[in-house]
Amino acid sequence: MAAPDDARTRFLTVIGQDPAVRDRGGHILRTRVAVPAEKLDPGPRGYRVSVVDYDCTHDVLYAPAELGDAGDAYATVDDDRLLTDPRFHAQNAYALIMRSLARFERALGRHVSWSFPYGHQLQVAPHAFREANAYYSEADQGLLFGYFRGARRHTIFTCLSHDVIVHETTHALLDSLRDRYTDASVLDQAAFHEGFADLVALLSVFSLPDVVETLLHTSIREDRQRRPGDDPEKSRHRISEPWLKRSALFRLADEMGKELQLQRGKALRSSLDITPARDLLSRGEFVLPHRRGEVLVAAVLTALVRAWSRRLRALGTTAIGRDEATAVRRIAQEGAAAADYLLTLAIRALDYAPPIDLRFADYLSAMLTADAEVSPRELPFHFREELVAACAEYGIDPAADARSGGHWRAPESDPTITERRPLVYDRVHFESLRQDPDEVFRFLWENRTTLGVYPGTYTRVMSVRPCMRVAPDGFVLRETVAEWEQGMDVHARDLRRLGLRTPRGMPDATPVRLHGGGTLVFDDFGKLKFNVHKRLIGPGQQRKLDEMWEQGGFRADEAELRTAAPGGYFAELHRQRER
Amino acid sequence: MPPKPTGPPTVRMYNVGFGDCFLLTFPYAAGDRHVLIDFGSHPKAKGADKGYMETIARDIATHVNGGRLAVVATHRHADHISGFETKGGKASGDIVRALKPTIVVQPWTESPTAARDAHGPAFRARARAFHRSLDAMERFAAALVQGLPAVPRFVTRSQRERLGYIGEDVIKNKSAVENLMTMGTRKPAYVYAGSKSGLETFLPGVKIHVLGPPTLEQAPDIRSYAEKSPEYWLRRRRIALGGRSAARAGAIDAPPFAAAYRRSARRPAPHAEWFVRKMRRAYAEELLGIVTMLDDVMNNTSIILLFEVGGQKLLFPGDAQLENWSYALKTYRSLLSGVTVYKVGHHGSLNATPKSLWTLLTSSSTGVGKASFKTLLSSRSGVHGGEDDRPTEVPRGPLVDALKEQSQYTTTLDEPDVGQARVVPL
Repeated sequence: MAAPDDARTRFLTVIGQDPAVRDRGGHILRTRVAVPAEKLDPGPRGYRVSVVDYDCTHDVLYAPAELGDAGDAYATVDDDRLLTDPRFHAQNAYALIMRSLARFERALGRHVSWSFPYGHQLQVAPHAFREANAYYSEADQGLLFGYFRGARRHTIFTCLSHDVIVHETTHALLDSLRDRYTDASVLDQAAFHEGFADLVALLSVFSLPDVVETLLHTSIREDRQRRPGDDPEKSRHRISEPWLKRSALFRLADEMGKELQLQRGKALRSSLDITPARDLLSRGEFVLPHRRGEVLVAAVLTALVRAWSRRLRALGTTAIGRDEATAVRRIAQEGAAAADYLLTLAIRALDYAPPIDLRFADYLSAMLTADAEVSPRELPFHFREELVAACAEYGIDPAADARSGGHWRAPESDPTITERRPLVYDRVHFESLRQDPDEVFRFLWENRTTLGVYPGTYTRVMSVRPCMRVAPDGFVLRETVAEWEQGMDVHARDLRRLGLRTPRGMPDATPVRLHGGGTLVFDDFGKLKFNVHKRLIGPGQQRKLDEMWEQGGFRADEAELRTAAPGGYFAELHRQRER
Repeated sequence: MPPKPTGPPTVRMYNVGFGDCFLLTFPYAAGDRHVLIDFGSHPKAKGADKGYMETIARDIATHVNGGRLAVVATHRHADHISGFETKGGKASGDIVRALKPTIVVQPWTESPTAARDAHGPAFRARARAFHRSLDAMERFAAALVQGLPAVPRFVTRSQRERLGYIGEDVIKNKSAVENLMTMGTRKPAYVYAGSKSGLETFLPGVKIHVLGPPTLEQAPDIRSYAEKSPEYWLRRRRIALGGRSAARAGAIDAPPFAAAYRRSARRPAPHAEWFVRKMRRAYAEELLGIVTMLDDVMNNTSIILLFEVGGQKLLFPGDAQLENWSYALKTYRSLLSGVTVYKVGHHGSLNATPKSLWTLLTSSSTGVGKASFKTLLSSRSGVHGGEDDRPTEVPRGPLVDALKEQSQYTTTLDEPDVGQARVVPL
């Protein structure tokens, strides 16, 4: 049946997590997700995603999926068909990528482009090669998913794993929103790409009530098998924070590890196994990007479970009694709602994060600010309180002053600016400020002292993005987000002249690139709310130089040229996880 | 008073095509003493006589002439040790063995007891893992070479040649390895940065410093060197062989979907052509990336030796690359001042002569000046690197220019006289 031309969304069947996660009847857990409606060509090829099912290893193309512009051809097919029909695999990848894109656009309140300057469609190869890997390749403008022979001798397709697809799509989207986050910089920034992609992927899976419900049922069934003498009618499962963590998060980690032997599949388990400690991030073990990223994931997931548990307590759901099905559904729905809320918050925080040299502390303040802007009363999940507490246990404190609740302060009260003057708005045009980089630059230049801009070097406005955020209560918040950056190429010998100290042991002739920049957030009336920035010259820059030198960040200069890793930055990042 | 060399040493650099073979001769009153540093050639030099390695071995025997010989095998790549291969008493390795070398020096990574010698349980575990990785790499290389005919046809001929060349270079040459372990009359020496060289009593009056390779304990941050797990290579093998296990290499593994779903990729639809081309290129690069990594890991196990004698400093770094050099440059900076003879690392590749090393060797404050600074380059163009016009060719053009401009430069590069030696008097 053809959809009416004005239909805004359509529903497509996807695999809930991966084929190892089964429903109560032992069938592959599937769910239907909403994606933007569009007229698709065979592939499917739509306005943002183009699937080309080419397999390098066998040098062969597979039949394209013909989804048309309505309907869901795989809603009722059997499990065997899901696994053996490459056209369903293409649909699964397409639907989850489009869902992720729509999720980012909803959270940010605006359209999000891919990072490549030419073209609008992300290329997707669901069966790119025979390898236990999947990655986003900037150079190929695409996502490449591998397949491989599993431990039980059957073929495992990474394009059928919800979290893998969302993880890779998140890399592509983050690269578009913050292209400087792949630059050599502080340790946290290198870790952030991987940690953030993990976080978004896990929250995306977790925001599906069907998945959470199945995980909880499986846990309860296993608990009963361990205690066969208990009468199911009488035994009551007490809902506690540890129980939720074990029954949902740990269960998901184990299910993911069962099917996928990718390190990515183990990421959640690895995060959950980290024992909280204030000094974690200064330990040698957490220097490697993927390991460090797991600390961020662990802290945020801890906040999720606590918020979920708190919400259930508030609703009076403290145990599962006789009507197990109803209780589990309710618990799952609250868990999914909490994950969905946190997912919005995690994505929206990008607009309140500095465009360069990101530290976890900055990201935490960005999350707190993003939430405070749309939800001043912290309801219903109290995520700000839970995030501050959980992150503190893992050694992550907000970068902004704790007295302000850990969120950013208005530029006039920024404690890093010594020479404070009122911001000048007289000579800028509000309408232009919402879309014109020149006008934003004019504002930046007029107020350079107050905004912490180093005047003696090249400065530019990288982007201007008007946004319309929708609060949980339906309130609409209009903002404009602009990013600016500045850079200066010097040698180590020049640092002292600029008021910086040469890291110990760094030869004078070492080339050093100094970077500064910020994110400007304007309100509906063109007034600047936040200038989240990193100064070109200052204590933050000094810490970055020391940290990079300590970690060998300048060593690349030793060689005349380091050849780029095959597959690019993200393929190499994932390979490092396998080592 | 212990004897001292009666004059400066002589260096004989043999033209082995692509590989290394250097014979250092130290004159003593009681007779010359010789150190053979590496003896390998791979791939076989094109256009050379079939028995050129035996010719070189016989020439070495002529020069040793009943005197005493020590052998240094910097690392186990075929282009450094293939000459030690034995075969029925007539191969080049048999000829060298017959000279009864006093001692054979190899890197610590070759020691059968390396894991036990490493200090501390954590490092013992890492050293054991590293040994297993080296074995896994060799199995990977063997499977790669065996499976090459089944690599997709879009992988170009030159890319296949490179895959085959590096694969073969890494495959364990069993007879050469065994020969090196057993040919010395004394117990073999397995060395690491800062250890004794094993040559102290053999070359009295010569100071010998081992600057590399570092142990895992000395340079635990050398990840590309130490943290390639055997499992990593096992997984990589799946790509290289299109999913086939080594045992089944040669058999065709079917695509994962039924024939009804398959379409020819000879002429992709116009909208897909660009992406398919990019994927093919990425796939071939991935394969090359794996073998290059394999090559680098092995190169970084190279011994870096520095001889100090009669005001001369002779630096022989094998194929040490950046990761190995990083430790030496940090720890032995002053020793690296005033080098008079530099055997150019890894046949002149990009990462084997780090910029800061070259600055140390040539700057006015730490170098000896062009007139006294000799460089030796044993290489062949067109064997290694430089795919798609990338600046990775071996030897690297700008480095060769710098060698010509800033040193007394001797080379076998592309010279047709394979099997012959160049004598470099000091």
